[in-house]
Amino acid sequence: MVTRLAPDARTLFAAAEDEARASRSPLVEAEHLLLAMSSQHGTDAGDVLASVGLTHESIATALDSEFAASLTAAGVAIDVAALGRPSPEPPRRLRLGASFKAAMQRSVTAAAGSKQIRPAHLLLGVLGAQVGTVPRALELAGIDRSELVTRTEQSLAG
Amino acid sequence: MTEFAIDPTSGPADGLAAVVALRRLADLLEDAEVERAMRSGWSWPQVAEALGVTRQAVHKKHAARLIAAGVDLRRR
Repeated sequence: MVTRLAPDARTLFAAAEDEARASRSPLVEAEHLLLAMSSQHGTDAGDVLASVGLTHESIATALDSEFAASLTAAGVAIDVAALGRPSPEPPRRLRLGASFKAAMQRSVTAAAGSKQIRPAHLLLGVLGAQVGTVPRALELAGIDRSELVTRTEQSLAG
Repeated sequence: MTEFAIDPTSGPADGLAAVVALRRLADLLEDAEVERAMRSGWSWPQVAEALGVTRQAVHKKHAARLIAAGVDLRRR
């Protein structure tokens, strides 16, 4: 059982929490981990995302589009950008959401046999979700998730 | 791991994502509107009654954030 996190995987956790706070989410979810990875240049996960053109900005845009599309599916026509923007939570530890925990579990499985859990293992964990906010946003961004998984696996192998 | 059996943008997935989006919208609205009311001088019991929750619940959920945002909450 692998439990050790590589240093650059560890810093992703704090960065994901910052992303959650910035998006006014009470929980740290898988999409916040993905956003954090896209800002972590020079790491395996950051490089894989960049190789398919995924930047922090394009992921944030895709997540906004997903939110708007899902509200539309519920029959709600509202300009989310026009909503009053509440003040963020103070800097204290946010709780982990179910999608974050599920991604972590898949990452641990993906890292079996490795010395450490690398950011790319965390990316595999995030990409392993079949349904939910992240796959929907990636679909809207025109991303082939299977290909992204393959690239991530190749990055870990190479 | 590379098999994606369910289309994440199919009918049922859209319906369930709509639930997630509505919850998130309600959370965002609550944060923004509670902040607006407290900045306008409302008391905790008034906000709680308007939301249909207990004073303790609304205080526990929002007090730390509003204090950090610099809202003066003394004697409310």
